[in-house]
Amino acid sequence: MKVLDDFSNIFKRYDLDLEVTGEARTVSQDSAMQEIAQFVVDGDDDGILPVVKKALESKSPIDIINDALIAGMNEVSRLWDEGIYFLPQVILSSDAMNVGIAECEAKMGKAMDRKSKVVTHTAEGDIHDIGQVIVNALLNANGFEVVNLGADVPVEKVVAACKEHRPVMVTGTALMTTTMTAFPKIGHQLKAAGLNIPFICGGGAVCEEYVTSYELGVWGKEASQAPGMAEDATSGESWESMRDKWNG
Amino acid sequence: MNSKERVMAVLNHQKPDRMPCFGANSTVTYEQMEKAGAYWPEGHDEAEPMAKQAMAAHTVLGFDAVRLPFCQTFEAVALGCIRKPGKIREIEGIPGIEHPPPYKLDDTPVFPADFLSRGYIPELLKAVEFIKKELGDEVLIVGGIIGPFTIAGSLLDSVPILKATFKAPQKIRPFLDVGEKAGTALAKALIDAGADMISCEDMTASPELIHPKTYKAYEMEYQRKQFDAISVPKILHICGNVDPIIEWMGQTGADILSLEPKASAQLARDKCGPEAILMGGVDTATTLFMKDVATVKQGCEESVADGIQILAPGCAVAPGTPTENLLAMVDVAKAH
Repeated sequence: MKVLDDFSNIFKRYDLDLEVTGEARTVSQDSAMQEIAQFVVDGDDDGILPVVKKALESKSPIDIINDALIAGMNEVSRLWDEGIYFLPQVILSSDAMNVGIAECEAKMGKAMDRKSKVVTHTAEGDIHDIGQVIVNALLNANGFEVVNLGADVPVEKVVAACKEHRPVMVTGTALMTTTMTAFPKIGHQLKAAGLNIPFICGGGAVCEEYVTSYELGVWGKEASQAPGMAEDATSGESWESMRDKWNG
Repeated sequence: MNSKERVMAVLNHQKPDRMPCFGANSTVTYEQMEKAGAYWPEGHDEAEPMAKQAMAAHTVLGFDAVRLPFCQTFEAVALGCIRKPGKIREIEGIPGIEHPPPYKLDDTPVFPADFLSRGYIPELLKAVEFIKKELGDEVLIVGGIIGPFTIAGSLLDSVPILKATFKAPQKIRPFLDVGEKAGTALAKALIDAGADMISCEDMTASPELIHPKTYKAYEMEYQRKQFDAISVPKILHICGNVDPIIEWMGQTGADILSLEPKASAQLARDKCGPEAILMGGVDTATTLFMKDVATVKQGCEESVADGIQILAPGCAVAPGTPTENLLAMVDVAKAH
């Protein structure tokens, strides 16, 4: 998925006519691949399994993952970026993609190769993990392994998960100002543990000034930035240089 | 004009002596708790501290109305959810709902006959009576209820209900029905206890969570039914950028539409016509909580220029918000 350089479209997503229309583009010239991609675009996690099974009779699992499942999810990301798709559709498409990936992995006998690991969590006390759900879906669709800690996660658990999994970056979501105060503590403890990884923080209550006031913090304005940031972190960019690039 | 007359003037489309300022959502802060001598967690579940904290909006800030309660759990707990305390480490915060939720999508939710005597509702009603005795008819009392979709989301959990909006939307109806009954019953009881106005918060109905078509096809009729049944003026507050649904929000029967600054007040005016009363101001997290008096004032002035008629925090006030930033809102209101 290409990360938007220009946010004008997002701000225009609810234009005066309200009815933003648009259709999914064709992602593959191969009809079997296109059919699978369409189930992802439609968010049909019940219907996708038979078509993936059928395709596996003649195609390689890795091709199906890349050219149909992930390609379909990238199309969903585009529709979301453009304001055509809404949150429930992204969640359902992600579910459908994951059903397909699980089937392909079963056929391969191993998990698909992932670019790198990212730990995601929603702050302690915050039970609304909606923003994180989108981040997980987009990271997954872009080939990253997501270690999903879920909602209402204590500081120590986030730090312990980073020590265990050694991710290239960690994300935190907070919708409430009472919960985002956990973020500086996480940044501090990661640093103390020698884990100098970018800590991407976003969500309704979280603003740039707050996140850039503590070490490791990089402000995530939109969930759609997560894959691009994960690419940067995977290629070894430091949290300081990512902050310069994505914030300010 | 006293505070109540000022707000009523706006509701009657008459010119007030100056713009009113109050919150559609919670306005409680730690600094106000100190001044009121009433603290959390008691303010979430005991009548007297709850009343004292709500009144601080008028006695400390000079807001034209006081608003209670301060979390979104009252109806949900009375319907079977378990309240999760707001305390994180040593700091008292805003209660939420424990996981797992009480229902799955195929269940039939129940509206209990003794709803109003369940959970923390009796203390909330006593708090309203307490405020009525203390503040009399000078200051408006705003009773808070939660919208049908948000209550349904508490009963089912958010991700399952969001998926159901596309996969099995008909299955949500019984939950919306119970959510509507709960909010309406609470609203009537709040009015009997002395509330002058009802504010309905419906955060899960936001286009940032559900498709605008889901709002139009499902949630809107329940909100309309609810507002039809409530005799006093109503505020409808939906979080986030509500531009895609503002036209329909204006058709629910709400007298006042409460907007976050990320929603367009100008669009709301265009879509909802001259009768709609618009309430809003500055972002509660990124401006009121984080910034200074000058930035708050500037944000408020911009909102007024966009057509806001009642100045208000854009959503629930963050409890760590400095008092001076809230006082700055009142200063701007006094200048208009």
